Amino acid sequence: MSWINLLKINIKKEIVMMKRYLPNTIAMLLTMYFLFLAMFAGIQIIGDPSSQDVHTQFVIVNYIFWSLSLIVVQDIGWQITTEAAQGTLEQLSMSPMGVWKIMLMRLIATVLANIIIIIVLLYLSMLTTGQWLNIDVITLVPIFVLTLISMFGLGYIIAGISIVLKQIQSFLQILQFVLAGLVFIPLTVAPFLAFFPIVKGVDLVRGIMIDGLSWHSINIIDYSILIFNAAFYFILGLFFFLYCERVAMKKGLLAHY
Amino acid sequence: MEEIIEVKNLSKTYKKRKSKETITAVNDISFTVNKGEIVGLLGPNGAGKSTTIKLICGLLIPDSGSVMVNGISMKEKRLSALSHISAVLEGNRNLYWRLTVRENLEYFSGNRGRSSKDVASEIEDLLDAFNLKEKETELVNRLSRGMQQKLAIAVSLLADSKVILLDEPTLGIDVQTGYEIRKILRDVVRDYDRTIIISSHDMGVIQELCDRTVIINNGKVVTDDKVENLLRLFEVRAYTITLGNALSNQQIQLLHQKFPHLDYSHHSLESTLTVNLTKAEEFYDLFEVLKLEHTPVESIDRQLINFEEVFLKIVNGRLHNELDQSS
Ligand SMILES: Nc1ncnc2c1ncn2[C@@H]1O[C@H](COP(=O)(O)OP(=O)(O)OP(=O)(O)O)[C@@H](O)[C@H]1O
Ligand SMILES: [Mg+2]
Repeated sequence: MSWINLLKINIKKEIVMMKRYLPNTIAMLLTMYFLFLAMFAGIQIIGDPSSQDVHTQFVIVNYIFWSLSLIVVQDIGWQITTEAAQGTLEQLSMSPMGVWKIMLMRLIATVLANIIIIIVLLYLSMLTTGQWLNIDVITLVPIFVLTLISMFGLGYIIAGISIVLKQIQSFLQILQFVLAGLVFIPLTVAPFLAFFPIVKGVDLVRGIMIDGLSWHSINIIDYSILIFNAAFYFILGLFFFLYCERVAMKKGLLAHY
Repeated sequence: MEEIIEVKNLSKTYKKRKSKETITAVNDISFTVNKGEIVGLLGPNGAGKSTTIKLICGLLIPDSGSVMVNGISMKEKRLSALSHISAVLEGNRNLYWRLTVRENLEYFSGNRGRSSKDVASEIEDLLDAFNLKEKETELVNRLSRGMQQKLAIAVSLLADSKVILLDEPTLGIDVQTGYEIRKILRDVVRDYDRTIIISSHDMGVIQELCDRTVIINNGKVVTDDKVENLLRLFEVRAYTITLGNALSNQQIQLLHQKFPHLDYSHHSLESTLTVNLTKAEEFYDLFEVLKLEHTPVESIDRQLINFEEVFLKIVNGRLHNELDQSS
């Protein structure tokens, strides 16, 4: 029951902030859209005309995932850094729920609140390019959720690092490129990336949205890798976060002032 | 009396990031707090008050020693120990500045797992009690420092914890709000059945609110006693005696032999003696000397020492031995 309360209040806060800073929210959406337009233009100019359509579709899916992973993973890092500086992290750390649960609920809340933006972005980019992707909700949702879980694991790792280190701005910037790499590099180029977080999921989503795969045509090994990755990275991330929290409590780092 | 907080042999050192030197902030501190008490934590800057508070709140892991909250070990069962504790830490860093008054109350209680339905009526009560009703939709960054502090205390009350720790609750706050906060705190203990630990430099706050005070200096407990006992200890012994005539040189000499710390001042109109007596019998010694010249005594006043002086004397260690003897 208290889990639900935690989730509800964090969703509420996320929505309140989005509304209160609506111009920021819109600016973020527009920035993401213009960045996409730039990529699209790039394909039109330098791409091979025979494969342009596939390329465009490829970019749409990747771009959407990249945006989502940035929102989720970076946001948690920023939140922790600012809250450690403002002192509210100490207040949260005194919650009998445990900070890790609060962070998980925040990750979920961030996704739920931003999913609208992501969907708008998806349709906007499909509309702009005239490339309509296969949106097979039943096949997509479980894969999407599993991919998110591994993304949350990454979120925990970033959150842990943010607690221990005071300056993470440059680190978060590098992270953008790492995430872009995970999302944009096709598995055919580097098959070992399948065991990295997010990658397998994005690959399957591309299969569904571009090549029209449906849930029964995806093989059991692919599902297994996805489930394994979700569990592995989530647990790894969580333990890393709990470890960082302990370090912070030993060294007095929960407040960065 | 039921013990709700037990701090046992707590020690904590910090390592400075650059120089790698270690600072012992808390050095083998022990004390207990009973249910329903208001205990003051008093000490000069850098004494280790905030560190002690954070150790009790589970925000810092001690190097050694233990904290028990309502019989639960902070080390072994941190989260369930935390369910009995809430705190307002130093400064104005306990709130979300971009959320409103009401949103802060809702958000923090939600993050402690409380349902919005359960807290709804409590929020109304608190807004009333803290005079924040008109400001409920105001963003925290628009509130005065005093109102922010009141809200932070309201948030800690909404946590539904048995123990509340307040680190310097009246620092940087105007007199009127300081007064209001003290009144609220007194009501809280009476009406809400809470136990409070307050750290402060403000003797007024401690003297007015606390049943007992733990004085710490250099990370160690210097004394732990009821505020009234500490005051009595000094009050009883300091006397100012106003004399009708000046003392003779012989008398002055004799008095100085007996009472090395005696203060004698002589003006054209009056002569006064200020003396600290450790035993009642010393009165007789004093009067014997006065009797030599039949010096008239016009009045004897017990000197009123305020808590601030007591505190300074204890911290400076001057009256250390006397304290030890009396306890
Ligand atoms: N995070 C930290 N890292 C390093 N040293 C610290 C840290 N926090 C406190 N200290 C040091 O530990 C000692 C005790 O500090 P503490 O804040 O507990 O004292 P205090 O009694 O609360 O003082 P004040 O009245 O100034 O608030 C001080 O010497 C302080 O400089
Ligand atoms: Mg302090």
